[in-house]
Amino acid sequence: MLPWLLIMPSLVLAFGVIGYPFYEIIRLSVSDVSRFGQLRGFVGFANFVTIATDPIFVAALVRTLVWTIAVVGGTILLSIPVALVLNQDFAGRGLARIIVMLPWSIALSMAAIVWMWAFNADYGMINATLRQWGIIGQSVQWLARPETAFPVEIGIGIVVSIPFTTTIVLGGLSSVPGEIYEAARIDGARPWQSFLHMTLPMLGPFLNIAIVLNVIHVFSSFPIIWVMTQGGPDNSTHILVTYLYELSFYLGRPGPAAAVSLVMLVIVFGATALYMRLRAKDGI
Amino acid sequence: MNSHRWRRTLLAWAVLAPLVVVNLLPFAVMFSTALKPAAEVLVYPPRWLPSHLAWHNFVDMWKAVDFGQALWNSLFIAICSTALTLAIAVPAAYALGRLRFRFQQSYKQFLLVTQMLSPVLLVLGLFRMAAAIPYDGGSLVDSKLGVIIVYATYQLAFAVWMLAAYFATIPGDLEEAAWIDGASRTQAVLRIFLPLAVPAMAVTGIVTFVASWNEFTVALTLLRDPALMTLPIRVVNLVAGRYSVEWNQVMAAALLATVPVAVVFTVLQRYLVTGLTLGSVK
Repeated sequence: MLPWLLIMPSLVLAFGVIGYPFYEIIRLSVSDVSRFGQLRGFVGFANFVTIATDPIFVAALVRTLVWTIAVVGGTILLSIPVALVLNQDFAGRGLARIIVMLPWSIALSMAAIVWMWAFNADYGMINATLRQWGIIGQSVQWLARPETAFPVEIGIGIVVSIPFTTTIVLGGLSSVPGEIYEAARIDGARPWQSFLHMTLPMLGPFLNIAIVLNVIHVFSSFPIIWVMTQGGPDNSTHILVTYLYELSFYLGRPGPAAAVSLVMLVIVFGATALYMRLRAKDGI
Repeated sequence: MNSHRWRRTLLAWAVLAPLVVVNLLPFAVMFSTALKPAAEVLVYPPRWLPSHLAWHNFVDMWKAVDFGQALWNSLFIAICSTALTLAIAVPAAYALGRLRFRFQQSYKQFLLVTQMLSPVLLVLGLFRMAAAIPYDGGSLVDSKLGVIIVYATYQLAFAVWMLAAYFATIPGDLEEAAWIDGASRTQAVLRIFLPLAVPAMAVTGIVTFVASWNEFTVALTLLRDPALMTLPIRVVNLVAGRYSVEWNQVMAAALLATVPVAVVFTVLQRYLVTGLTLGSVK
């Protein structure tokens, strides 16, 4: 009995505050819902048909794929060399580590505000510096143009994801015994050969976990895009979460919004199942 | 230091240089703009250094933004949600880390699934639920209590994982010795186990505090009344949908909202990193 008494409060809270909203979203997704939230009857899959034929939703779905792959891919590719460097013994390593981890400590919404100001076309320091170095002749309207706004947001997504990922890779590196490198070196292996044939395979399980956890976080990451562009200009930076938020609270379309929510939840559950299988397989 | 290490140091910093610049840039931008006199913020071309340090920006901002109120809201919500999270997570983690029970594995998996759910995915359902619960003459929308409960719920899984991992490392012999000396199970837990668990609870508490302090989506959704808004919402509202933005005040506010937490986080990082990865990797 005792264990159940101890975990009961956590179950009550989870079932109440996760379970009930979940049930509510399923109910809304198959109902005709007025903009003020009244349910006006069962409509089957009508809301799902509505979003599937909504060009903004389809574009946001594709963009979510690009966003997730670009941010997670960029983060992994940059975090591996950063972790390899931080794993070396060099002067100022403690300081370097603190600086690498800095973005972790700032709220995403605050980081977004500061970057938004830094990328301001006329008075931002990014344009000012690029002009000074002669890289650009005229100010670039970074956040006002679709071609630049989304890539800028992807870049910021990568910057804020590096600390967590680097930490996991460092954890993986610390589990690699140093003697094997010594042995490989004596056997005439070049450093990049040791990296390719020894470090990378041993990092494998850690990279898998870093990838899946990042995919789940990045897929449902809301503040950066919402604060910097709110999905604009002209819906060109919407990913599923920002479109879901706009449908829910700005466009007054709770039915389709619930359908978007459900699609996202199914994707997250799928990724979580994959994560649990990876953990079970690799035994970590 | 030998020449070998010098070369390695040079190479290491050269590789890290771009990331170092990108990570320090937001702080440079915040300090630079927060300390500029209003007349120098919108000057073309912009410069890094102000002609003189306009400390007065902070005073102006404090009044214009009603910073004190937002600071209090953020503190109150972060402290209460941390306390609630710990009050519920500590017993659950004790059960998970110290006891054996049926469905233990299922409970672990349940925690793992809830840990993956970001509140934004359920935001519509959360809002409707909060709006449907009567509280204090209104509903849980526009109440600190609503936000506190939601924060505690979505931080719970992480907190239980982290605490359980630490609890499993506290040896059980001491408690057993206390039972032999005639102490009840409750007495043994209170006198022997809990004091040993304080460091773990402190680390978990700090992480949940920082997460609540930095949270954006739930606060944005549930807090509509400016008098209740937390710092991130207040600062974002200074920019969102406005034609003229007082950027020096915005940066002053962002600086005050981020730097204290960033310092605490950085100082404690050595202890946090282990815990932060425990839940996800181990």
